[in-house]
Amino acid sequence: MSKWNPTINIALAMLLGTSVQARTWTSTDGPKTFEAELKAYDPATGEFTVTLPDGTAMKFNQEKLSAADITFLKEQGKQPGASAAVPHAPDFATQIRPILSTYCFACHGPDEAKRKADLRLDTRAGAIARNEDGEAAVVPGNVASSTMLARLTTSDKDERMPPKAKPGPNAAEQALLRQWIADGAPYTEHWAFVAPRRPANPAVKDTAWAHSDLDRHVLASLEARGLKPQAEAAREALIRRVSLDLTGIPPTLVEIDAFVADRAADAYERVVDRLLASPRYGERLATPWLDAARYADSHGFQQDDERSMWRWRDWVIEAYNADMPFDRFTLLQTAGDLLPDASPETILATGFHRNHRISAEGGIDAEEFRLESVFDRAETTATVWLGLTMNCARCHDHKYDPILQKDFYRFAAYFDSIDESGIRSSARSVAPVVRLPRSANAERTTALAAAVTAAENELATLKSATPPTAAAMLAAAQSSLTAAKKARDAYAREVTEVMVLKDRAKPRETYVLERGQYGHRGERVEAGTPGFLPPLPADAPANRLALARWLVDPANPLTARVQVNRMWEMLFGTGLVVTLENFGGQAEPPSNAALLDWLAVEFREQGWSTKRLLRTIVTSATYRQSAAAPAELIARDPANRLLARGPRFCMTPEMIRDQTLAASGLLVERLGGPAIRPYEPASSWDGGEGSGNLNNYTPATDDGLWRRGVYVIWKRTQPPPSMTTFDAPSREFCSVRRLRTNTPLQALAMFNDVTTSVAARMLAVRIMGEAATPEERLILAMRHVVARRPDANELRILTAGLKRRLARYATDPTAAKTVLAVGNPPPPPTFPPAELAAYAQTCALILNLDEALTRE
Amino acid sequence: MSRRDFLLRAGMGLGALSMGGFADAQTASPLAARVPHFAPKVKRVVHFFLNGGPSHLDTFDPKPMLAKHAGKPLPGEYLRTERKTGAAFPSPFRFEKYGRSGLEISELFAKTAAHADDIAVIRSMYAQVPNHEPSLMLMNCGDSVQARPSFGAWTLYGLGSENQNLPGFVAMCPGGMPVKDSENWQAGFLPGAFQGTFVDPQNREVEKLIENIRSPHASAEIQRRQLGLLRELNAAHRSARGDDPQFEARIQSFELAFRMQIEASDAFDISREPESIRAMYGDHVHGRQTLMARRLLERGVRVVQLWHGAGQPWDHHENIDANIRKHSGEIDGPIAALMADLKQRGMFEDTLILWGGEFGRTPTVELGDAGKSKLGRDHNHYGFSVWLAGGGVKGGTVLGATDEFGFRAVEKRASVHDLHATMLHLLGFDHERLTYRHAGRDFRLTDVSGDVMTDILT
Repeated sequence: MSKWNPTINIALAMLLGTSVQARTWTSTDGPKTFEAELKAYDPATGEFTVTLPDGTAMKFNQEKLSAADITFLKEQGKQPGASAAVPHAPDFATQIRPILSTYCFACHGPDEAKRKADLRLDTRAGAIARNEDGEAAVVPGNVASSTMLARLTTSDKDERMPPKAKPGPNAAEQALLRQWIADGAPYTEHWAFVAPRRPANPAVKDTAWAHSDLDRHVLASLEARGLKPQAEAAREALIRRVSLDLTGIPPTLVEIDAFVADRAADAYERVVDRLLASPRYGERLATPWLDAARYADSHGFQQDDERSMWRWRDWVIEAYNADMPFDRFTLLQTAGDLLPDASPETILATGFHRNHRISAEGGIDAEEFRLESVFDRAETTATVWLGLTMNCARCHDHKYDPILQKDFYRFAAYFDSIDESGIRSSARSVAPVVRLPRSANAERTTALAAAVTAAENELATLKSATPPTAAAMLAAAQSSLTAAKKARDAYAREVTEVMVLKDRAKPRETYVLERGQYGHRGERVEAGTPGFLPPLPADAPANRLALARWLVDPANPLTARVQVNRMWEMLFGTGLVVTLENFGGQAEPPSNAALLDWLAVEFREQGWSTKRLLRTIVTSATYRQSAAAPAELIARDPANRLLARGPRFCMTPEMIRDQTLAASGLLVERLGGPAIRPYEPASSWDGGEGSGNLNNYTPATDDGLWRRGVYVIWKRTQPPPSMTTFDAPSREFCSVRRLRTNTPLQALAMFNDVTTSVAARMLAVRIMGEAATPEERLILAMRHVVARRPDANELRILTAGLKRRLARYATDPTAAKTVLAVGNPPPPPTFPPAELAAYAQTCALILNLDEALTRE
Repeated sequence: MSRRDFLLRAGMGLGALSMGGFADAQTASPLAARVPHFAPKVKRVVHFFLNGGPSHLDTFDPKPMLAKHAGKPLPGEYLRTERKTGAAFPSPFRFEKYGRSGLEISELFAKTAAHADDIAVIRSMYAQVPNHEPSLMLMNCGDSVQARPSFGAWTLYGLGSENQNLPGFVAMCPGGMPVKDSENWQAGFLPGAFQGTFVDPQNREVEKLIENIRSPHASAEIQRRQLGLLRELNAAHRSARGDDPQFEARIQSFELAFRMQIEASDAFDISREPESIRAMYGDHVHGRQTLMARRLLERGVRVVQLWHGAGQPWDHHENIDANIRKHSGEIDGPIAALMADLKQRGMFEDTLILWGGEFGRTPTVELGDAGKSKLGRDHNHYGFSVWLAGGGVKGGTVLGATDEFGFRAVEKRASVHDLHATMLHLLGFDHERLTYRHAGRDFRLTDVSGDVMTDILT
């Protein structure tokens, strides 16, 4: 371990126990020592935390220590006085409730059916209630009489809780519980279920760093830990980061140069405003929303036929580009059909809830599948807007959150009266549908209109010409005008059918399903929201419109927090609450609760404007920090929860594709329209019979090969390997968080797939055209991909590699031809094959750099 | 570090900041071999998945009472299944006692029956509903309603893989995917590296077996050089960026990919087997995929699933006589060959074999239009058979029983959770302790139940 400093003698002050002790520590690999204060020790895992003299905290495992040291640590952990390190007043919401929830609530929580010994610990009344023997789990202010602690700590196997040797609270957690009971066992509501209020502005020592209150909240938390933020990132890094984040496309060389040269105070803010105004912004923002909405171009299930919902996807892109306020975005997608001023466009938005899977299997029970769609909508709404795992309450009362089973069915009832059947025949769309002009493709409409104008002008010119033009020419002009008009009108008449929401005239009756099972009807319920959240207005109708308004009501504690957290994760790689999908009692508390609340209130008070929210975040000093940081800081905070450095994480597959295409000059940009078919591996859609009409995948022969990743055709049961290999979800269900993994299949895709191969070749063609010397060309290649110049060392490595390749391909023309033969388009014949192949392989290398696949 | 921060960390457990394995997935190789809870009996699993629902009544659960009531309605209650069924429908196949144990097996699996003394049949399995999709999810992922990680993914999460050059979990299915497609081998909320890699053994070229496995533009030698350069450039960049472990993970994954290109070609290439071995398995797709499975297991792949075919071939609603004869004929030989081959290689003792489908079939005949017999059987989740063989399994045994007609499991009823708990036990895991924290809760394959079936363990 590099962190052991052999030169410093140590004095280690023990905070565990009542005594402060100094001793020499020895590592397993020799007498390496360090000076530090021991802050915490967990005997269960062997992990201990120390603070170095400079304030840096480090976490080690006892494995790194000598046997004598381990014995010493264990003794410290066992001392009865270990709890003395616990101060008064632990916070119930963030410290006590998580312990109770983890170890106790499964049997002593909200779920009445599974509750053991008639004891519930999720309410204070339950915890302090006395049983027939006069005992209580918790006796406020009296640790000795509280049976809970006795049961947690007893060595009697039959008495011990949790039972069956399941893991229980460790020593430190027990100490917290003890102190909390001594303090009177106060209960407060779960933090996420109390509406956020604008937090007070914290005091900070460094008054120069912060750009806004956002930064002050971050800085206060850093200063409390003795940390300092990193310096601002280099301009090249910053413009690449913000361009990728807001548009999904890296900056051009012109944009980089302009920004680097622009010394005006607001240079960066102007870049941000340009990016937010770009139509690429909507394409970028749409991607996570499409995951949440389980958007796909096929119906799902066994007979996974193609469907046509792209017009709804384009609505999302347009809504983001127009910066539609999030409350209206919510209202339209949940209940656009029920608005007093409903129009085809507001109805189109409700396609959100028709992105679910629809089965075509013969012999199935249509009603059962219809109910599955209803539950899917309830679960999706709860996840996307409320961050609640409401699906847990489908079969029984929720184990950790106060959601009753009945609440699940009341919530689902909002979606139960949609006029749908649950299965489909061979038709592409299933009622209810709306028929809309294909106006999404405004470019095409404009081009056709322009053709008409041009033909009219041509005719007018001919008519006014002197001497009078030949009749034949006039006739030809007239006929081309007629043709242009015909094309324009035909296109205007083309319509697309989109599946949307529409309620039946007579609402259905909704019932609880016992154990969540179809066919086992329990009591009848009316539509409503969970009782533990703020109530609906007394006169609210039992329909989706009332639900949508309730979701975005200022009293709703969840919606704004959940949404800003998702935006934060998009920009920083990890949410302030890690579990974007769960804000309930089992969620880890926010890493910076004040900051989360500040953002949520700000978002709402700024008119729910997503662009304003993103602008606030990306112009902050926090966001603009350099991602490079001292090794100690990275080791202390690998996931960057403390925000003492700039965000650095793997790019999304959509971003990787778009960057690759943009750098090579292949990218074709056109907003919207039907899905595209890029190059995919040979086995895509291998399905044999009966897997629907999407079979024998063939890549496009037009510019669909080179359009953005957001448009790639998505067959649910066999989603595009170019996306799923890089952790995109299948889109069978709502998904609000993509995992980030690092697998060899990703490396194989980057090395061997056709798109990257063609892009590498076209990038080679591009740099060979743009500069003359190998050095200049390689510098350009690096700038096109990672937006910066290579340093001298990197350039040396690249040039040496290029030289070896030139020699290799010069003597092996067949190998060179192989490089140039992959995919379309073929390279221009004017380039010498060996040279082009050598550059192409070097460019492939650059596209594969860790830095290229990372947004930092 | 403030006192409050210390408490926060201590209170949450020091591991809380590692975010439930997220950071781990990025930093360590998720497939690195790991040690289970206790000494395992087996190191690898091969699962013959007879997708569609194989009839237990025609294979491993003889019911002479059906012959006595042939053509007549069953005396007792008819359990609700998917479709309408009629009279008692005896098996047209002959059962015999095999081995020293006298295990009763039908003629359909006469070759497999040569290994009767190594087989433990569980005749009292039950699932939850008579439909394919939920039952496939239950058998593979332990939950018929919600999306959960598959058995193979959990196994990789627990054990890693012994071969870093191949995927640790391979699902083969001739001709395309089974019903529920890749959900059958999904990683769910576990890191993506644990999901099964689908291979269609009908493809003979390795390019189609694993996506992007071949470079279309570079020889191995050129790629080796590319990797060398990549490592150099990444290292140069890394030195300027602090000690971010993600760099190393990235480099590792590229190098594994490179090795996989070489090793996968070899592992799937059964032409490298001697003629005698190939003949033993049979020169047809089921023989080939079973032989590929042995080559993969031999190379340290942890879990191999061998599906019968695309869709649900074992869904014998009609003309069961001819159809089941055809399908069992396709796999009886390969199964027997694999068992013999594993034995001769000394691998049988630490391999676990599972044979079964998502449910069984009705003892009554399925009725079509106007109540006409279809000479087939409907789905039956109330009772069905699976069998286990290999290390730690007490061969020649029968666990539990269905009722006298084979409709419903009545003795020592065994849930899918019990089966999973037993399989995890053989792999060295306490199924209650193999957990993963997701969305704030510890999840496990067996949800909240499951008992190890000690009766069939040595």
